[in-house]
This record gives sequence, structure tokens and C-alpha cells, in this order.
Amino acid sequence: MGIDVNIRVTGGAGQGVHTVSNLIMRMVAGAGYRFHVTQDYVSRIRGGRNSQGIRIGSEPVRAGREEADVLLALNPDLLPDYLPAVGEGGFALADVPSADPPLFRAPLKEMAVQAGSPILANVAGTGAIACALGIPLEIADAVFASDFKGDFVEKNRAALRLGADWAKENLPEKIRERFRLPARSHSRPIILSGNEALALGAIAGGCKFAAGYPMTPGTGILSVLANEGPSVGLVFEQAEDEIAALTMAIGASYTGARTIVATSGGGFALMVEALSLAGMMETPVVIVVAMRPGPATGMPTRTEQGDLEFVLSAGHGEFPRLVLAPGSPEEAFDLAQRAMDLAEEFQVPVILLTDQYLADTVVDIDPENLVVRPLRRHIVRGDSIPRTRQGKYLRHAYTESGISPMAVPGEPGITVVVDSDEHTEDGHLSEDHATRIRMVEKRLRKGVTLAGKTIPPLFTGPPNGDLVLIGFGSTKEVIEETRRILAREGRNVAAVHLRQVWPFPAEEIAGIVPRFGAALTVENNARGQLARVIRSECGVRIDGTVSRYDGLPFTPAALARDVRRRI
Amino acid sequence: MTGRYETDFENAWCPGCGNFGILNAVTMALEATGREKHEIVLVSGIGQAAKLPHSVDVNVFNGLHGRALPAAAGIKMANPGLTVIVTSGDGDIYGEGGNHFLHNIRRNVDIALFVHDNQVYGLTKGQPSPTASAGWTGSLQRSGVISGPFPPLAVALALGCGFVARGYAADPAFTSDLMLQAIRFPGFALVDILQPCVTFNKKNTYQWYGKMVQKLPPDHDVTDREKAMTLALEWEERIPLGVLYRREKPTFEQLHPQVPGLPLGERETPEEAVRALLLRRRAVPG
Ligand SMILES: Cc1ncc(C[n+]2csc(CCOP(=O)(O)OP(=O)(O)O)c2C)c(N)n1
Ligand SMILES: [Mg+2]
Repeated sequence: MGIDVNIRVTGGAGQGVHTVSNLIMRMVAGAGYRFHVTQDYVSRIRGGRNSQGIRIGSEPVRAGREEADVLLALNPDLLPDYLPAVGEGGFALADVPSADPPLFRAPLKEMAVQAGSPILANVAGTGAIACALGIPLEIADAVFASDFKGDFVEKNRAALRLGADWAKENLPEKIRERFRLPARSHSRPIILSGNEALALGAIAGGCKFAAGYPMTPGTGILSVLANEGPSVGLVFEQAEDEIAALTMAIGASYTGARTIVATSGGGFALMVEALSLAGMMETPVVIVVAMRPGPATGMPTRTEQGDLEFVLSAGHGEFPRLVLAPGSPEEAFDLAQRAMDLAEEFQVPVILLTDQYLADTVVDIDPENLVVRPLRRHIVRGDSIPRTRQGKYLRHAYTESGISPMAVPGEPGITVVVDSDEHTEDGHLSEDHATRIRMVEKRLRKGVTLAGKTIPPLFTGPPNGDLVLIGFGSTKEVIEETRRILAREGRNVAAVHLRQVWPFPAEEIAGIVPRFGAALTVENNARGQLARVIRSECGVRIDGTVSRYDGLPFTPAALARDVRRRI
Repeated sequence: MTGRYETDFENAWCPGCGNFGILNAVTMALEATGREKHEIVLVSGIGQAAKLPHSVDVNVFNGLHGRALPAAAGIKMANPGLTVIVTSGDGDIYGEGGNHFLHNIRRNVDIALFVHDNQVYGLTKGQPSPTASAGWTGSLQRSGVISGPFPPLAVALALGCGFVARGYAADPAFTSDLMLQAIRFPGFALVDILQPCVTFNKKNTYQWYGKMVQKLPPDHDVTDREKAMTLALEWEERIPLGVLYRREKPTFEQLHPQVPGLPLGERETPEEAVRALLLRRRAVPG
């Protein structure tokens, strides 16, 4: 399996856990290794308990691990929580008065003060870890030089080196041997979180207007759009509430812009009214729902997949929608682009369903592997705008596909009329029952056309066997690693990842499930919502659900344990 | 009466409804702007007032109850070349959409807002709107409204609205002139329009308003915010009509670095720009 080292860094909010993982990621990438970082943080600005897991490998790493090989506890008070998870042969560092292996007393504070600033204890700890991994420090120097100013650059360099020197003298040779990463040639990866990848995908998909109201874990998407959008002429506006955010986006979309909003379940609850408006007005819009545990405020910084049924049924009335659920940062980049395009092609709201786990997962990616799709616009302009004999443009013209050619206001010679009331083809309010029937059928026909263009589920493993594991969204890579663990044990297990949950890929799932002795869904929720959807949409037997709803993501080893118990 | 803007839409307003005067005023104002039909967007929410755009042959966005303003803001941001006008009810703008009223004044998007202020929820058959006087008995308040009235002009002034005016549905020519000024004003402009409701509002009738309204004198200083505030709160003795306050300041569109330029829908996304954003995230700097 090659190299597999898991580093856990923990500390209170404000102690610089993030800095440590940022530096380690960059040094590890510079040394030619791959990584996967998961973030586990608290909803506060100071104190509490934050931790990040940095799992390093020689091949792409796509899931976290609970057992740690290396633990850096910036707040020693947290040791009782994390020390038991240090595995056989691993070690831990903390600034404690005295310690016995696997814990080592690292005088982090003292080194920080010596380097010139007491807040650099985290950087000294980073130096110690870098020494244990045997990776060069120069890349961290470049990071300091680009991120900091004045003598703080030098202080950081000093703290890093003091930490490394301390480790050289105080960590047993055996430990440093064990975790040394042999020198490797490196490509030049980029670092992307799920949120960043999704936002950049939206930009690549031609998004030009974004609005939002901050809510973890969706805020990270807004911040990329606000800060990176300007280079492609994207307008971002912080709305007064989520109702305004989505309604503004719909206004901009009516005017021809590709638009996105991002929030979490609670904010989406406020958007639901406007979701239905987009359904009625047939306005394209992309809505990111980054899930966190509910109900209500729930656990703001933790993960859950509890809003699947909510997003599938949200919105009063009947109208088509598309729901996509990326399983990795790469997939978030790809599906966000496609969401932008499909929203406009089918004039439907598209929901991108993610969660805190994916939002905050950070990986290295070879930028060459990220495909930027050519933009296809679906808005009619100028002479290609169809007109009636009287020269009128009909925004909601009846068509076979249910899709009416979409023009936008500002076109000479026509007006574009839309209404939240039921309307005639020209967009004007109507209470005529025959019109009502035709419009309902037109909108639903569009849903059928949309269903004909399903992004199929991804299947891995043998074509038939004992068990198939089915998941959607962020569980993709954990399920895949679990499947491989079980395959190595000689078990005949396959995995299915749904990238599109609505329109539901019923044919595909109905074709797969009967080929296996048993089918389990793997879901970060308590009620097995995906299992319920599968049963109702394709009538196949689902034998149960492996659930997790403590607010934390699945990890492969633990999931494999759970699955073994079910076979 | 609606001339070149006429549509065959049947708006179902009661005979004598103030909305007819307001519709008249709107079409006269549009005519006077010299803008083409395709350059104008009328935005509304839901209510009897909010049906007005259907009677005018321009671009129309008749959205949800209370949500006209955010939709209008999105339209204006996406294409500042359009003339964006919101025309909707008092319940719609000050009640259901109150939060958007507050924050779009702060935002100062170049939108003209016409509020049909009949102190009542007409479409839902006679409940008090936020501007209803205390003591008013509605279908859901048999013993009278307890809450005090919402003072739209004073609230707008407090929030720094650059154009604050009051019109009267029974005087379309006068109101139309206020509307035209509001449309031409660069920034968020409010025209609250006193609108008799012949069916549900038996207190604020044409006769009553006839006695109460008083046009501001020509020498009224429209830059005096304190004076405007005093006028905005007058109601018991007389109700001032006209432009209470006018002062220009930079608009949202002027201040937002990305809004000026091509309409958003016409902007390109070069692949190199996307690649550049990706490559800024190199693990190893340099
Ligand atoms: C979310 C929502 N709540 C309530 C309604 C019902 N409703 C429609 S119009 C209206 C009030 C309209 O009052 P106003 O805006 O003053 O317009 P008017 O009819 O008086 O012109 C209400 C409560 C609705 N359409 N949507
Ligand atoms: Mg009203």
C-alpha cells in the first residue's frame, strides 16, 4: 500500500492548528507526497477543541483515518481525548511538564519565545513533525515569505528550525526512521478544499452573479466567489437574508446572468419560497446546500447528510429540479460547472448538495486533471428570438421538450414577462383552468427531458457479488476505500456513488441492486434517507443502512468494521 | 388611457380604485422618460397593486409577495442599463418585504419604488397593512389595530434615502411628475402614493384626503433633512405632498467594482482566467 502516515494536530480555536496543517501540506507536496486533510472544528472564535487530520501517502489520498501516527497537541488539556487514538509505534508531542512514550515533552512555548514570539509554538511543533518526516523546511520558508511581513518571516523560520533541531535531538532515532518519507520527485499540485473547488467550478461554468448570507459551512464558497470572482467580472453581494439572496439571484438570472447562492440547511429553509419561484418562472439558478447537523441550528461546524429528503421535496407546488451531490473536490469542480450549464439549458433550479465534511476536506490535485468545459450559452438573442405573427415573444411558449426559448430583457422589439402566478405563454397572469393544465404539463415535460440527461452513478467493484454499498455525495471516497479494504479480505463487494440524486437514476440502480446478495446504503444521517428514496423510486430491496449521525464523517476502517458486522 | 403601453390585461380593480390613477401616472411618467419599452422593467410583488405591471407593455417581473425589491436589485445589478421600477402595495413592501425595504435603501441601488399606500391588504380582503392607523378595525382585528403605524417616509429618511416623495392617486399628473423625478434620480428613490381603497378603507377616502393633502410650497428646501423628517411625520393635521427630500450620493452600481461594464449575461469566462485561479493555489509557492 506504500506510505500511509496520519498526522493529527489539535488545539483550541486561535492556537494555529490551521497554520500547522497548511505548512505540512505544502512541505509534503514539495517532497512529492499526496495528502488528504479533514477539519474538525468548533463554533467559536477562541478556545474549545479544533483538530485536523493530515493523511499522507505516495498515491492520491482520498479519505481520513481515525488512528494517528503522529499527534501534535497544542493544548495539552486535550491529550486525554486524542492520545488514545495514537496507534502502535506512533508518537505524540505536547508541552507538558513530563511525559512517557508515546508522548514526548516538547518545550514548544520556550522555543517560540526564543524565536521571538510566544504565538509561534505551533510553528515550532511543525518543525518537529517535519524533522520526523525527514522533509525539507525550505518550502515553509517560501510560505512565510509570501504570507508574512517584516521580521515575522524570520521569527517563523527560527521557530520552525528550533522545533526541527529539538526533534533531531530528542526523538528516538527509531521513530524518525519509521516515519521518514523517502525523497521523491514531485509534480506541482494545487491545493483545493471542497468549497473552493465548487466555487471555482461555478466560476468556470460562467457564473457572473452570486449572493448569500453567511452560514457555515457554505460561507467558504461565498468567500471564494467574492474574492476570486472579480477577475472574471462576477458580481457578489451579501444579502440581508437568504430570502433576498435567492430572490436577487433569480432577478439577475431573469436578466441573463448565470447565478449561484450558497448556504446550509437553515438558510435553505428560508430560500424555499424563492426555489418555488424559480420553478414557476423557469429561471435558471444554482443553489448550494452545504449540510450540517440539524434540526434548527444543530451543530454548526459538523457534518451530516440529513437534508436529502428536504432538498428533494422543498418548495410548494410541483416543478422539476436537478440535485447533484459531488463526492470529492474534483467532482465538486466538475459538477458545479455542469450545474451552471444544466440550470440554463433546462431553466430549472439546480441544487448542489454537499456537507461540512466535503466543504472542509482539503486535497492536492494535479491541475491538469481538472477539465474546464467549453461554455455553451442557451439564451436566445437578436434574430434567433422566436416571435409570434404579431411580433410578440412568448417567454413560456409551449414546446415538445417543455423548454421554451429564453430571451432576456433589453432585447429591442420584445418584452420579457414573467409571473409567480400561473400564466399564459406570454407570461401574463391567468386563472384559466385549461391554461393551468397545459402549463403544469409543460413544466413537468421539462422534467422528463431533464431525466433523459441523467449524470449516471459511478460503479466500482465486481459486476455481481455478495454486497453492494450505495452512497451519495461526500461519502464517495470513504466507501471506495472501504470497498478496497473488504476486497483485500476476499469479499465480493461493490460500491455505487450517486452524483445525481434527482431526477433519480432509477434505471441504473434497479439494474445494479439485484445482482448482489445484499444492498446497504451508507449515510451520514439517522433515518437512512437515501434508502427510502431508492425504495420509493425503483422498488428494489435495500437491506439496511450503515448510519452515522454523531456529527462526524465516516472513516474507512470504522466503516469496514460496521459493514463486516452486517454481512 | 395607457396609450402606447396599453395591454389587454384585465386587472380586476374595483371601480373607483386608486390604482387606476396610479396606473395613469406610471404610464405618463414612462412616456416622459423617453425610454423604449425593452429598456424598462416593471417589478412587483403580490397584491392588487402588484398587478399593475401586467397593464403596461414593458418587461415585467411579477414576483412573490414581499420580494419585489431583491428581485429588482438583482435585475439592476445584472444590467444597470435597464430602467428598473418597483410598483407594489404597502403590505407587500412595508410588511412582508420590510427587511428588503430597509436594506435596499441602505444599498442605494438605482431603483424607483412606487408604493400604493392604501393602508390595507386589498387582495386578501381588508386586513390592516403596516401603515393602517391604530384603532382601525380590520376583518382580523374586530377590536381595532393595536400596533402603531409604520412611517415609510420617516424610515426612508432615517436610512439615508436620497429621494423621498409622497404622491396622491387622485392627482395623476402631479404624481406622475414625482415618479419621473424618481426614475431620473440616480439612486434609490421612494414615492409613497396615498391610495384610497373604496372597498375596505372607509376612513381614508377621497373626501378625507381631499381635505388633508397639501402640496409643498415651491420654496421648500429639498436638501433639509430635518425639515423633511418633520414633514414626513405629519399626518394628523395635514398630509404634505411632493418631494420632501432629495440629495444625490454615489449609487451601489457606481461603488461596486464589478457592476460597471457589460451586462453580466454578456460577459465571457476565458479558460485562461479559470486556469489562473486554479494555479494560484499551487502547493509550493513560486
Ligand atoms: C407569502 C405570502 N403570504 C401571504 C400572501 C397573501 N397575500 C397576497 S396579497 C397580500 C396583501 C396585499 O396587500 P398590499 O401589498 O397592500 O396590496 P393591495 O392588495 O392592498 O394592493 C397577501 C397577504 C401571499 N401571496 N404570499
Ligand atoms: Mg395595500
